[in-house]
Amino acid sequence: MTEYSNRSQYPQARADGSLDIDLTSGKYLKLWQGPNHPGITGNMSVELTVCGDEVVEGKTHVGYLHRGFEKLMERRTFIQCFPIVCRICVPEPDFNEYCYAAAVEELAGIEVPEKADWIRTLILEMGRINSYLMYLGGQAGAFGLGVIGQWTTYARDLMLDRFEELTGARIYHMFIMPGGVRDDLPEGFDQRMEETLQEIESTLQDVYDTMFRNAVFKKRAVGLGYVDPAWVDEYGITGPVARGAGVAKDVRRDQPYLVYDRLDFEPVIATESDTYARADVRRRDLLMSVDLIRQILARMPRQGEVMATLPNVLHWKIPRGETYVRGECSRGEYGYYLVTDGSGYPRRVNVRGPSYTHAMTLLEKLIVNVNISNVAGLMVSLHTYPPEIER
Amino acid sequence: MTEGRGYQRMKAQSSLKDILAVATEFERTARDFYADLAPKVSKQIRYLVEELAEEEQRHFDLFTQLQSRADIEEMLQEQVDTPASDGRFSDCIHLPELGDKPDDQAVLQYALGREHAAMEQYHSLAESTAPGPIHDLFKFLAAEETQHKAELEKIYYEVVHSGGV
Amino acid sequence: MSVRDLLSPFTAWKNLFREPVSIKDPFNRPASERYRGFHKNDSEKCIGCGTCEAICQNGAIDMLPADGVATQPGDSGLRPRIDYGRCCWCALCVDVCMTGSLTMSNEYKWVEADPDKFRFMPGVDKKHWDDYEDGYRRPDGHRLNAPERIDMPELAPAQRIDSFVEMVTGYTVEQAQLEADRCVTCGICVATCPTHMAIPDYIRAIRDGDYERGLKLLYDSNPFSQICGKVCTRRCETTCAASHEGDPIAIRWLKRHITEQVPHERYREIIGAPGPATGRKIAIVGAGPAGMTAAFDLARAGHQVTVYESESHAGGMTRYGIPEYRLPSDTIQREIDLIVSMGVEMHYNTRVGTDISMQQLQQDNDAVILAIGLWMGRSTRIPGSDHANVFKAVDLLRRIRDGEAIEAPKSLVVIGGGNVAMDIARSMARLQKQQHGEIAVTLTALEDKAHFLADPVEIKESIEEQIHILDSRGPQECVIGDQGGLVGLRTWKVLSIFDEQHRFAPSYDENDEQLHKGEWVIEAIGQMSDVSLLGEELTEQLEWNRGRLQVDDDGRTSESWLWAAGDCVKGPDVVTAVATGHKVAASIEAVFAQQEAQT
Repeated sequence: MTEYSNRSQYPQARADGSLDIDLTSGKYLKLWQGPNHPGITGNMSVELTVCGDEVVEGKTHVGYLHRGFEKLMERRTFIQCFPIVCRICVPEPDFNEYCYAAAVEELAGIEVPEKADWIRTLILEMGRINSYLMYLGGQAGAFGLGVIGQWTTYARDLMLDRFEELTGARIYHMFIMPGGVRDDLPEGFDQRMEETLQEIESTLQDVYDTMFRNAVFKKRAVGLGYVDPAWVDEYGITGPVARGAGVAKDVRRDQPYLVYDRLDFEPVIATESDTYARADVRRRDLLMSVDLIRQILARMPRQGEVMATLPNVLHWKIPRGETYVRGECSRGEYGYYLVTDGSGYPRRVNVRGPSYTHAMTLLEKLIVNVNISNVAGLMVSLHTYPPEIER
Repeated sequence: MTEGRGYQRMKAQSSLKDILAVATEFERTARDFYADLAPKVSKQIRYLVEELAEEEQRHFDLFTQLQSRADIEEMLQEQVDTPASDGRFSDCIHLPELGDKPDDQAVLQYALGREHAAMEQYHSLAESTAPGPIHDLFKFLAAEETQHKAELEKIYYEVVHSGGV
Repeated sequence: MSVRDLLSPFTAWKNLFREPVSIKDPFNRPASERYRGFHKNDSEKCIGCGTCEAICQNGAIDMLPADGVATQPGDSGLRPRIDYGRCCWCALCVDVCMTGSLTMSNEYKWVEADPDKFRFMPGVDKKHWDDYEDGYRRPDGHRLNAPERIDMPELAPAQRIDSFVEMVTGYTVEQAQLEADRCVTCGICVATCPTHMAIPDYIRAIRDGDYERGLKLLYDSNPFSQICGKVCTRRCETTCAASHEGDPIAIRWLKRHITEQVPHERYREIIGAPGPATGRKIAIVGAGPAGMTAAFDLARAGHQVTVYESESHAGGMTRYGIPEYRLPSDTIQREIDLIVSMGVEMHYNTRVGTDISMQQLQQDNDAVILAIGLWMGRSTRIPGSDHANVFKAVDLLRRIRDGEAIEAPKSLVVIGGGNVAMDIARSMARLQKQQHGEIAVTLTALEDKAHFLADPVEIKESIEEQIHILDSRGPQECVIGDQGGLVGLRTWKVLSIFDEQHRFAPSYDENDEQLHKGEWVIEAIGQMSDVSLLGEELTEQLEWNRGRLQVDDDGRTSESWLWAAGDCVKGPDVVTAVATGHKVAASIEAVFAQQEAQT
């Protein structure tokens, strides 16, 4: 697939496998991609060693967004952790809320009302749509197609309106709390959601016409960042990156949570496994989310509670235990590992964001031989959010 | 002013002057009664008797001042209907039999009875006099006695119904 | 790659003919109905409990004194100040707010050059969004603390009605932990408790399962903890933050739970031994809660304390006024034994004024405390109330507690709507059930149901025990029959009892007259002190205040050697008596210390 095949002028590997790069030779140059916001990848940086305009080595550096969430949580009561977790991922915060709440509920033995499960699923799919819309704009923008970003931002804004009326906030929703969700759907929500979904579908058609059926985009994206299906397990690849490689991994189907076992869907896959294929998987996955939201609104119960009775949260102690709760976010498997020790504070919280594997090991592997101008496009194609690397 | 009382009671009408005289006597005997009683009762409840004496003194002063005013001399000759409550009112001039050492409850009950009679008396008088200064006076006195009675009832409730536990 | 891929992107041009999607006036776009914007606080409703401050994970809320907000029972006088440099708009403060006073507006735009402006007290510092209708408020049913109390297990009416066995059985450890868990630790109750018990701390001890620490905390402020755990009037619960939108914490029952969990033989060791002897002597008249509390404090300080009690047992009204089914004798005895074990000398069956004079006590002691309670029942003095079968509740209750065999009449009428009335009605009902198998007790009160002075729980339980309660009945006459026996009580309907200023101003409907049948009439309308023990001379020397002994803030009378405490100065209430007992003990201590300093 790769067009960059002449390896003669590149550094040779030493016996231990490291590259023999002599910076004094004048053949190589160090170039930093980031840590400013290169495209839609967030504040991380890739230390590139380039030879001409081609990357011979890339090292991912993070730490620019480190706020110590996991450590902060060890000093906060279980309820006080609830407003923190969403901040681990700005564009798709709800998975943090869901995974944290589900982990706490499991260890504390709290039964969540059924209706809350449906609303949680609804929110997670709404969040997925938002995340994909943001991605599409970023992916197109990385190859110079600025207008796509404007359109998807508009569509995302409509969904943010729905978030605002449902959860009371646009970005950090703080709505899925341990025990259920804060409130029921507002009056007339279904109608407005349907209008939003139709607008998103229409926008997506425009995106398809101008981005996916675009010679420029195809020229840049096809063949870029090829992921061998064999790497999927080796590198811990999940989500659209794996599905773009033809591996039908989807937690929603493989380990159903919430109400996914009561919804009809099949994982979206592609086989080409390059940047274009991954973009297309995400586009189709987005359309599937639109369908899932329609299914949810049609099937969810309209009566009943949305919040379980909690003990007094001020002195809430959770028995000793540990659990790992996962969900399929727009970028792959999102998981929370929670350890409790019988006190009022989490003993350990570990956040497993898909960006960790994708932006560190996989990116470092894929970036070799890539033209500098395509580095941003490649980074976006892995759809990584740095805060979840350095949570 | 008590000598003509038996006759007055039979008359359907009395002069305002006579009525005022009875009222003044009413307040005076009460004042003297409380003033005599005060040193006899236990110091614990003396406050009650002293307060009552002060109150009656205030009313007595009011009537004395009134009678000495020249401008109402003429009005005092007017005849008004004797109120139905007149008998009870006049009876209250008699000293009560509270014994040597009445307790707070007995004193209060006696005082309440007096205030009630006075209140009724002044109310009736106010109703049977034509609008004017005399009418206003009775109205004022009726309001005074009503308020005083309400005050005493409150004290009675607090003192006697002290429990609630 | 095809021609289509070259042409398709040009479809973007169709947008040239579209209306712009951007909002024309973004500055006036209202946020959604549930939007979490700047806070609002209903300062009238807010009680300053600080639960918002406790839950805020950003430390954005500080509780501070506010202009125009006074500290009063049930209100700390503090109000939340929010620092929007820290606030993350999670609204946990709104969710946890105990009164529902804290909400949010849907205002989200605010431009200000001075950053300090973004730290203010919602509701106190007026903002233009204070009257916004929209914004986040806690949804119905969304609670972060359990609003409902854990019921106290007790004997069913049928099980308890024919005996004087204690009806309340006490929480299990699990129940107590659940109830203790509901407390938000705000401490508003501490200010309300007359003796300022460390309520949130001992409730925390229950949560921690550390009952010995809990017991220590109880006895630090209340040597009548076992008794108060059963019969306290629990004013704390009336100001409890949880009572605003749910049931107040069962503070009294939790206190009881601690005293039940610690073995009695451990009590003295946990509380600690008295200090070294000082040689000072104090006499206390009356072994009720006030007298014995003072005795406890002073004995522990090393003074030589002698208590004179006219009855055969200590405990005062807790022993002779409260029925056994509410407060068993062995509970009282344990409490008294504990206090006596601190080195208190008891003289039972000794009536001051008769067996020993006040003058003698003054001579023999450095200080004397009068804690004589309110032992004389008041009478309505209506016609017929001097009949032999008209009784005073306090006298009867004492006779029942003393173990006297009382032959209950087949029917009786109680006058009064307070706790004493309930106590005597329920006691007599038990005797009737035991002796006749039938209950016929009518209780008439001046007050209407809404103004009953009795604890609502007492009223509920009385009704369960078949007491016939009639409210708004004014007693007119104890009717005596031809044979000279009592026939019953004649009453008038009370139309209103209080005027607008809530002053007693009864008005009756004389046409609504009823005769309540009863062989006995029991008056339970009020009580007074028997101050005859003081003697005429001392009575004259002392200053009085509206019928009661005049004391200063520390409980000292106008005679420098004499202090007074308990019901006789503060009215009938166990925990208030305990508080005044502490107060006089502290005052005496201070006087002693002053004397030491002068010598």
